[in-house]
Amino acid sequence: MSKRVLRRIILGVLTVFGVYALTFLLVVSVPGNPFQQGERNMPREAAEALRARYNMDNNWAYFGQFLRGALRWDFGPTFTYADWTCNQIIAESLPVSMILGFLAMVLAVMIGIPVGVGSAVRRDGWFDVGTLGFVLLGISLPTFVTGSALLTLLSVTWKLAPVGGWGTLAHLPLPALTLSLPFMATIARLTRVAMLDALSSDFLRTATAKGASPRVVIWRHAFRVAFLPVLSYLGPATAQAMTGSFVVEKVFGVPGMGQHFVNAALNRDAGLILSTVLVFSTLLVAFNVLIDVLYAWLDPRITEAV
Amino acid sequence: MGRAPVSSDRGGSAPGAPRRPRNIVVWGSALCLIAFISASVATLPFSSRWYNVQALGRAVRHRPAAAPVVDIAAYARASGATAATVPEPTAAPMTRLAHGASSWLGHDDLGRSLLFRLLPGYLVSLLVGLSAALIAVIVGTTWGAVAGLAGGRVDLAMMRIVDLLYGLPYVLMVIVLKVALSQPLTQLFAGRTRLAEIVVLFAAIGGMSWLTMARVVRGQVLSLRAQGFVEAARAAGAGPWHILRRHILPNLVGPIAVYATLVVPQAILQESFLSFLGIGIQQPTPSLGRLAADGVEAVNTFVGYWWLIVYPCAALALTLLALNFLGDRLRDALDPRSVA
Amino acid sequence: MFRNVLLACLALLGGVVALYAAAEREPRAAFTYVNPSDIHTLDPARMSWTQDFRIALNLWEGLTTSDPRTTEPVAGAARLPPRVSDDGLTYVFTIRPDARWSNGDAVVAADFLRGWRRALEPGTATDYTFLLTDHIAGAAGYVAWRREAVARLTALKRRSEGGTVDTRQMPALEQVAALGPGMAASGAAEHDRKSGSAAADGMSFHVRSARKHAAEMDERFSHIGARAIDDRTLEVRLIHPCAYFLDLAAFPCFLPCHESIELLRERYAGLPITAEGLVAYDPQWTKPRYHRNGYPGLITNGPFRLEDWRIKRRARLVVNPFYYDAASIRCRTIDMLVYDNLTAAIMAYEAGAVDFLPAMDVPYDHEIARLAQSGERPDFHLCQTFATYFLNFNCVSDSVNGRSNPLRDARVRRALSLALDKHALVERVLNRGDRVARSFVPPGAIPEYHPPAGLPMDVAEARRLLADAGLDPAAGPAIELLHVATDELICQAVARMWEENLGLRVELRSKESKTFGEDKAEHRYMIARGNWYGDYMDPTTFLDCLATGNGNNDSGYSNPHYDALLRDAAAMRDPAVRLGLLRAAEAILVEEDFPILPILHYATPIAIKPQVQGLYPNPRLRFPFRDLVVQR
Repeated sequence: MSKRVLRRIILGVLTVFGVYALTFLLVVSVPGNPFQQGERNMPREAAEALRARYNMDNNWAYFGQFLRGALRWDFGPTFTYADWTCNQIIAESLPVSMILGFLAMVLAVMIGIPVGVGSAVRRDGWFDVGTLGFVLLGISLPTFVTGSALLTLLSVTWKLAPVGGWGTLAHLPLPALTLSLPFMATIARLTRVAMLDALSSDFLRTATAKGASPRVVIWRHAFRVAFLPVLSYLGPATAQAMTGSFVVEKVFGVPGMGQHFVNAALNRDAGLILSTVLVFSTLLVAFNVLIDVLYAWLDPRITEAV
Repeated sequence: MGRAPVSSDRGGSAPGAPRRPRNIVVWGSALCLIAFISASVATLPFSSRWYNVQALGRAVRHRPAAAPVVDIAAYARASGATAATVPEPTAAPMTRLAHGASSWLGHDDLGRSLLFRLLPGYLVSLLVGLSAALIAVIVGTTWGAVAGLAGGRVDLAMMRIVDLLYGLPYVLMVIVLKVALSQPLTQLFAGRTRLAEIVVLFAAIGGMSWLTMARVVRGQVLSLRAQGFVEAARAAGAGPWHILRRHILPNLVGPIAVYATLVVPQAILQESFLSFLGIGIQQPTPSLGRLAADGVEAVNTFVGYWWLIVYPCAALALTLLALNFLGDRLRDALDPRSVA
Repeated sequence: MFRNVLLACLALLGGVVALYAAAEREPRAAFTYVNPSDIHTLDPARMSWTQDFRIALNLWEGLTTSDPRTTEPVAGAARLPPRVSDDGLTYVFTIRPDARWSNGDAVVAADFLRGWRRALEPGTATDYTFLLTDHIAGAAGYVAWRREAVARLTALKRRSEGGTVDTRQMPALEQVAALGPGMAASGAAEHDRKSGSAAADGMSFHVRSARKHAAEMDERFSHIGARAIDDRTLEVRLIHPCAYFLDLAAFPCFLPCHESIELLRERYAGLPITAEGLVAYDPQWTKPRYHRNGYPGLITNGPFRLEDWRIKRRARLVVNPFYYDAASIRCRTIDMLVYDNLTAAIMAYEAGAVDFLPAMDVPYDHEIARLAQSGERPDFHLCQTFATYFLNFNCVSDSVNGRSNPLRDARVRRALSLALDKHALVERVLNRGDRVARSFVPPGAIPEYHPPAGLPMDVAEARRLLADAGLDPAAGPAIELLHVATDELICQAVARMWEENLGLRVELRSKESKTFGEDKAEHRYMIARGNWYGDYMDPTTFLDCLATGNGNNDSGYSNPHYDALLRDAAAMRDPAVRLGLLRAAEAILVEEDFPILPILHYATPIAIKPQVQGLYPNPRLRFPFRDLVVQR
């Protein structure tokens, strides 16, 4: 068990390094001057000197320098917001995204799983079609549409929530709900398939035949098996939700981290691109390992899987 | 795990039972898709000419004969009743941003008929989805099957690469791909820039769509490899190529078909996200995502051009719901877990 | 067990909620406004965005400052009028005796020189160096000398270290140097002794060159045409008479800088420059609570000081208690909020959470413009800005993306200009109250300057010109129109007009802004959108862009006659003759050569709540908050 986790961790670290290296390759191959802002063109010498100053004229040096800094949790300067360091930007935005992402995942699980179980149990009935259809809207409409619709309806028309921003409790529900919709849909769908599978398996037929109540069969027996695929989805999904979503942050004015993934790329801000990617992939690996441990705990039979 | 075939309690409805909602939904979804697609394809000869005809009043008063615009009369002859829905480009009163009896789905802020932007836009979106699915099937299946069959270190390495690509910043990838591919593709297509841009976008969206497919296929191949019949074939002296062709690939068709169906809606959504960022489909080419991204701004405290958001989103939601439903039911029918 | 997991989730959820509920809420500021994007930098030497200027001009005060109502220059940190020599070339400013920094220090002439030098130095300046080099005697020479030295030292650094130096290791050296000027020299010697044996010869040559250069820098800078006669007297010598110098002196790159910044100067081998020869400071210096090396945090001399700044959330300004006029400032706290989504910002304004929106240019904003113009919403205003939206024509490249570039021919450019119905664009496509542009310089903003009238639309003439130029519209190559996502609407209409009026094939290429900027600057386009906001109240703020070799001449336009007119105008003392020369120059642009095609002058809608007084819509979108009064 611990050996297996250790192996996963080592593999995970290698993955993070690989993601870093590949992203670095992307960063150096994309054209565009990260130092220039606005409409005015920058003198060539100044751009050259700034590149040299941050060692960006020497890719190998920059590669090593950034990595050494990152190991000491120092991601260096950013150019989009020249007065801030990457560390400060991440420190300001990651907690926001983590809170929002966590809420969104809780919502997604608490709604997605019952809907999935219910629609599997009442397979092909109106409940199945109706609820699943409703949940599937989450992956049938772009987030910017669902988010704007919620904002316009709940905040502007019915005045139930503030129009965007961050800082009070009232700012949480709408962005969290919007963020959770696609995850909810996927979870409901995964649960449904896994439940269908579990309900038709031999041991459940046995359990039913032995006279166990449907409730016990569904929740105690079937769901236990069906939860495992959902669990393995939750790892990467949580990492994704907790590093923010550009669209949700844009629509609701949330100062989270998702916007920095996109803006850094659009601004060619090498330091910010690399640091956000490192944070994301580290979280991804961490959650995958965590899920692995949970997996083994929930289902001790599993020794080699995924 | 030897699992009994489960189809007995699946499809058939008991005699005399009311019509199953499933069938209604499946047929409804299929009908909806067919209706949309056939409408888009059938009107393509007109919509390809009309999707960018702007009604700006005075602006188009000097229209030379060479202009690539069909005469309104010819158009009316060709399309009969729908002619009434199209504004006369040189009409004096402004028909921009209108929605009413004189037009079916209203006009956008350049006075273009939304109907004639939706119809070709639908096809563009569908093409984005289909090309992503195609890439996913070709690349993902090959990658997953090779990894699963080879096993060991090769498998490990190939799957790590998939993991790496999952972790990459998507927007940066798209920008790099666009910058890298634009120039060569423009030359390849003899200077047809717009075509080149669309193909680049297809590549950028498809480039990430095969990852899930590769994982699924690898998982299937691994579990198939462990099944008795493959063991038996191997024991009987069949070569790996034979096993792949006769035993594994036929069993993979189901899951591949299912996931390909699910890639289509994902890719369409991905395109809408890129359009929202302004790096998606190039104007004036329409796509559902593009139209939805533009339409989102059209309803706010002061203006309410609701048709610009409602119709594109309705088309988008219906299509994606239909695709998602069909994908789910296809999965039920060809359950990847019960391939044995 | 699942119940346990569920309970754990709920407990965590409750914890988060409780944590949020418990967090203290700061009271709302007296006045709140919204920026559509966050401040890019608070370093006046590096600023180039309107929202940055807006906050800088409230935090700092230059020699002059803008009148809130007219934006005309009024006395700032210096008394007006300055003593001007008879030839109009030398200005002597006297700094107010009661001008104070926000820590109580007196504002002295050296503070201005420090600020101006930062705006010149290749390491700290970015976009607006030209405002100093074009006007202050000797500044251009100094910058050229510095740029050359920086290029040399950068090359030396590369050679000597193979580019493997880690700039993060520099603070160790910096601390030695930060002990004081005297200690810095000995620290450098110490460093030299230490590294002398270990480092290769190339390294020490690099350090020696850097040291020699650093020793010369201050000397060279003291020869430019700006010097402190004493603490309260600043003398500025100009290259040529400049009618608008007082206006210029209010601009961010002419703002002063407090001496505490020197505590955060980056050093290399004990020298006050980096290894590349750049003058550089710890970028954290703009933070109100940053105390490395004993730095006191950001100190400013304007009516307000920065109390708090959280990225992507908020900046809070409070009254600078040492400001000479602090007693008369009625609005004591100001919040700047960041809303990426301007539509949401407008909703927040409507809900009463925001008092002032300095921009409302969302898509479909014609209704906002109508409400402002019709008077239905007296709190909405349209600012007819000192800005022009135009199209650049590529005048230099033979071919673009492998196609021949027809726009090198002035007749084609003229034809495209004649075939565009700007009125339809402005009134029917955008319909948001913009003014049709016939000239590059917006008319009416500069009282004595009357821009040329341009040419009226004439499609027949345009087609004749195309035929003259030997361009067969149907068979010729498609023309590419490069733009960014925000101006899709207008570019689609432009493309369609050319297609319909001339039969040309026009291809739109939308690029995200970095690729767009690079393509435009490198002339990898045929037609590209452009916009320009005038920085000071003179036609040259626009016309200089198209001078041969100007860094912002994206058209690559070069006409010796045009350049000569600009040069003559610069040397001319008589204002009327000078403006006449500039008008003749502009006439070449918009009536003969057409390197650009001006389309419109922006009208920017803004919203000011009725209870707010002391904010005035103006063409330069400058909003000093000094006179604000908010009644609640």
